[in-house]
Amino acid sequence: MRRWAFQVAFLFAVVVVLLYLYENVTDNLRRLGITTDFRYLRQPAGFAIPDSDFRSSQTLFDAVLVGVQNTAKVSLLGILLASILGVVVGVARLSTNWLVRRAAAAYVETFRNIPVLIIILFWYLGVVLRLPPIGEAFEVLDLVVVSNRGLVVPWFDRVGAAGLFLVFVVLGVVAATVVGVWRRRRLERKGEPARVLLWSGGALLLALAVGYFAAGRPWVFETPERGELATSGGLRLSPEYAALLIGLTLYTASHIAEIVRGAILAVPRGQTEAANALGLSGFQRLRNVVLPQALRIAIPPVANQYLNLVKNSSLGVAISYYEVTKITRVSIAQAAPAVQAILLLMAAYLVFSLAIAAITNFANRRLALKGR
Amino acid sequence: MSENGGPMIVLEDVSKWFGDFQALKGVDLSVDRQEVVVVCGPSGSGKSTMIRCINRLEKHDRGRIVVDGIELSDDLRDIQEVRREVGMVFQQFNLFPHMTVLENVTLAPRQVRRSPKQQAREKAMELLERVRIPEQANKYPGQLSGGQQQRAAIARALAMGPKIMLFDEPTSALDPEMIKEVLEVMEELAKSGMTMIVVSHEMGFARAVADRMAFMAEGEIVEVGPPEHFFTNPQEERTKQFLAQIL
Amino acid sequence: MATRVDTLEPLPSPEPERPSARRLSPSEWARENLFGSKLDAVLTVAFALLLAWALYRVGRFVFADARWEVIDRNITNLMVARFPRDELWRIWAALFVLAASLGFGAGAAATSRRRDLEEGRAAPPGRTEVLRRAGPVVALVAVLLWFAGSLEATILTLGVAAVAAGAYLGGRRVRWRAARFAPIVLGGIVIAFLIVAAFGGVGWDNWGGLLLTLFLAVAGILISFPLGVLLALGRRSSLPAVRVVCVAYIELVRGVPLIALLFMGAFMIGFFLPPGVDRPSLVTRALIALVLFTAAYVAEIVRGGLQSVPRAQIEAAQALGLSPLRVTGLIVLPQALRNVIPGLVGQFISLYKDTSLVFIVGLTDLLGVAENITKQPDFLAQGLIVETLLFASVIYWTGSYWMSRESQRLERRLGLGER
Repeated sequence: MRRWAFQVAFLFAVVVVLLYLYENVTDNLRRLGITTDFRYLRQPAGFAIPDSDFRSSQTLFDAVLVGVQNTAKVSLLGILLASILGVVVGVARLSTNWLVRRAAAAYVETFRNIPVLIIILFWYLGVVLRLPPIGEAFEVLDLVVVSNRGLVVPWFDRVGAAGLFLVFVVLGVVAATVVGVWRRRRLERKGEPARVLLWSGGALLLALAVGYFAAGRPWVFETPERGELATSGGLRLSPEYAALLIGLTLYTASHIAEIVRGAILAVPRGQTEAANALGLSGFQRLRNVVLPQALRIAIPPVANQYLNLVKNSSLGVAISYYEVTKITRVSIAQAAPAVQAILLLMAAYLVFSLAIAAITNFANRRLALKGR
Repeated sequence: MSENGGPMIVLEDVSKWFGDFQALKGVDLSVDRQEVVVVCGPSGSGKSTMIRCINRLEKHDRGRIVVDGIELSDDLRDIQEVRREVGMVFQQFNLFPHMTVLENVTLAPRQVRRSPKQQAREKAMELLERVRIPEQANKYPGQLSGGQQQRAAIARALAMGPKIMLFDEPTSALDPEMIKEVLEVMEELAKSGMTMIVVSHEMGFARAVADRMAFMAEGEIVEVGPPEHFFTNPQEERTKQFLAQIL
Repeated sequence: MATRVDTLEPLPSPEPERPSARRLSPSEWARENLFGSKLDAVLTVAFALLLAWALYRVGRFVFADARWEVIDRNITNLMVARFPRDELWRIWAALFVLAASLGFGAGAAATSRRRDLEEGRAAPPGRTEVLRRAGPVVALVAVLLWFAGSLEATILTLGVAAVAAGAYLGGRRVRWRAARFAPIVLGGIVIAFLIVAAFGGVGWDNWGGLLLTLFLAVAGILISFPLGVLLALGRRSSLPAVRVVCVAYIELVRGVPLIALLFMGAFMIGFFLPPGVDRPSLVTRALIALVLFTAAYVAEIVRGGLQSVPRAQIEAAQALGLSPLRVTGLIVLPQALRNVIPGLVGQFISLYKDTSLVFIVGLTDLLGVAENITKQPDFLAQGLIVETLLFASVIYWTGSYWMSRESQRLERRLGLGER
C-alpha cells in the first residue's frame, strides 16, 4: 500500500512540476506575443540554404527536412569512413611492426584527447579555407579540383535518356547472378577456384558497357574543369561539408580504433592458437576467426560511437554547415519560436538515435552466438 | 620431405623460458612413426609447453625440433608446412563459436588446401561419422555437450589429414561421464596407426594404448619406458611418488 | 624521505613472453620488430618517411613559421579573459589553497596505497615514476610561463608547486581512509571558489578563458554527481512509476546532442521561469545545460556500478534485517561508487573537452578566447587561427591525456580493468 501511495505522490509531483513549467512557458510566450503551437512551420523560411535547391520562399518545415537530410548526408558517409579507418588503425595498434604500432597509437592518442569541435574548426579555418582560391586551384591527377571553394570530384552527369540503360543494368545483374551460380557449381563439381568476383563482376561490367553505348551514352562521367571563377562539371563538396566530414571521421575513428583493439584482445587466446594449429595464415586467421568474433564484441560500443557521430554532426552549426541544428539556429534568429524549434530539433535527434538503436539491436540479435 | 623410416618427431636439448622461469630444461625425445607416447607429470612440469613447441604455438629458445624431416626455424613456410602435418586437440576444445561444427571442420581444408566445398564437406561428414557425431554437423559448438565438442575438435584436427596428432589434456575439462566417449575415439585413432603424443592423466587409457610412457617434472623428462615397466617398476623416485599419488 | 617519495604507484607490469636468458641486440630487435617480413620492411620504410615528413612540417611550423605573438600578448586573456586584472590575486590565492588541499589528498591517497605495498598486495614502483607521471603537466605549465614571460608569475607558480609538494608530504604522514581526507579536498575546492567569487570577488559571469573551462567542467561534474546517483537509483527502483520517469529522462538526454541542450539553456530557460523573475546569466544557463546533460551520463555510469555489486551482497544484507533504504545506503552504494570512479573520471574528461561547445552559444571559454583574439585589430585577417587553435588544443590535450593516463592507473589499481 505504501508503495502505491509513494508512486502516486511521485508521479503527481512530476506532473505538477511539468505543468508549472508548461504554464510558465505559455504565459511568457503569450505575453511576448509568440505562438505556442507548431503552425509557424508553414510560414516561408525567409532564408536560403547554400548548396541545395531550397529557396527562401519554401516553408520552415521544408527547411528542417533539408537540415535532416544534410545531417544524414554527413553522418552516413562519416560512419562509413570512420569505420574503415577505425578498424585499420585498431588492427594496426596490434601490429607486430613496432613503427606501425606506435604510429597508430600516436594517431589515437592525439585525436581522442582534443575536443572534436577544435578538430572541425581546425580543418575548416586552418586547412580548407586556406586552400588556394578557385583561379589557382590545384588538381590531383586531373581528377579532383581542390580549392577554398571545396572539393570537386568526378561524377556522372546526365545528358540523355536512361531507360534503355536501366534495362541493361537489370540484365547485367541477372547475368552476374547466373554466372556466379555457374561458377559455384563448377567449384563444387571440379574443385576449380570459383573467382566469383572476377566472373560476375566482369559480366556486370560488360553489360553496363554495352548498355552505355547502346543507349547512346546517357551518362557522362565528367571530370571537373577548372575555370577562372568556378568549376564546371563534377560533384562539389562544400568546404563546410568537407571539413565537418574530415573532423568527425578522424575523431570517431580514433575511438572506434580503441574499441576494435579491445575487442580483438578480448577474443580468447585459444581461438588464435586453434587457428594457428590448423595452419591458417595470419590473414586467414584474422578474417575467419578473430574479426568475426571481435565484431560481435565491438557492436554495442561501436554503435554508441555511431550515435555520437550523428550527435556531433550538430557541430556543423559552428562552421555553418546547414544540418538540422544550424537550420534551427538560423530559424530562431529569423524569429521562429525558440521553444518549439528546439523541441523539434531534439525530436529529430531522438529519431536518429532510435533508428540506430533499432539497427544495433537487430544486428546484435542476428549475430548472437548460439548456445544451449 | 623425407619419407624414410626415421623417427617422426625429434626433440634435441630443447629449452624454453617464460621471462625468468625456465619451462623446459634441455628436453630430448624421439617419437617413431605410428608410435603413441603418453606424457604425464605434475602440473607446471612443462608437458603442455613441450607439445606446443612441436607445432610452434610456442617458440623454443634453444635446441632443435625436427618434425617429419622438417626442422622448425623462423622460416614461416616451414612452420606452415609442419602445422599442416600436425593436428592438435586442446584442453578447452577451442572450437570457433561463430561457426557450425561442419564449418569448423571444413575451414582449414577449404582455406589452406583450397579443397572444393563439396569434397571438403564429404570428408568432414566422414570424420564426424568416425567421431560419432554426424547428427550434430549443423549445430553451433555452444549447443553441444563438452564430450561432443571435444570429439568435434578431434574431427577438425583430422580434417587436414595430419600425420601426427597432439593431445593437450583432452579430457581434463570434461565431466566424468563424457571422458569415455572421447577416449574411445582416441583409442580407435591410435589403432589406425596415427602417430600421437598425448598429455593425459588417464592411466587406464595410457595402459591400453601407449607404446611408451614419459614422465615429466620441472621441465625435464625424468623417465621414459614402455607402460608395463613404467607402471609396475618405475626406476626414478619422483616417478614412484607421482604414480602413488594418482593411481 | 627521499627514498619514500617514489612509492607512489604500484604498477603490475604485464610480463611479455621474453627469454631473459638472452637480451636482444639492437639489430636483432630491428629485425624482429621492423623488418620481420618483406611487407613489414615496406611498411616500416613508408611509415618512417610519413612520420618524418609530418614531424618536419609540425616542427617547422612551431619553431619557424608560426607567429606566436598573438599568444604572447594574450596569455592572460587565454587564462581568464574578462576577469578584472586587479582582482587576479584572488586566483593566485585560490591556486595556493587548491595546491594545499589537492596535494594533501594525493599524499593521503598514496599512503593508503603504501599500505597495500607493505602488505605485499602491489609491486613497488620505479624510481623515475613521479617525474614521468607529472611530466605532461609540468611541460604545459612551463610552456604557459614561457609565453607569459613574467618573473612574478614564475615565482608564484613555483610557490604553488612548493605548497603542493609540502602538502603532499604532509598527507603522507597521516593514515586516513578516503572518507576522512575526501572532505578536505572538496573543502579546498569550495574555499578556493569562495576566495575568487565571494567577499567582494568576481562572480562567474565575468570569468573566462581556461578558468571558465575548468570551472564549468569541475562544477558540472560535482553538481551532476548527486543528480546522477538519484537517477541511477531511480532507474533501478522496484517502483515502476519512478523507474519510467528516470529512464525517460536518461534516454531523452542521451539521445540528444549537447549543443541542443545548450541552445535550450540559451534560448528556452528564460521561458520556464515565472514572469517577473530575471533570466540567469549566460554562464549560469550554460552550466545548467551541462549539468542536465552530464547527470544522464553519470546515471548510466553509476547504474553500471550498482549492477556490479553481487546479488548475494544484497541478499545477505536483507537477511540481516536491514531496511531497503539501509541496504542501498550502507551496502550497495559504497561498493558501487568505488567501482564507478574510473567511469566518473572518464566522464569528467569528456565534460572537460565538451565545455568547448559553450563557445557556440557565445561564452568566452578557452576556445572562445582563442577564436576572439584572432579578430583583434593587430591580428585581424592574418590567418592566425592555426596558432591559437593549436595553443588551445595543447592545453586540452595535455589535461585530457594526463587524466586518462591517471585514470588507467587507478583502474588497474582497483583491479577493474583486469581480465
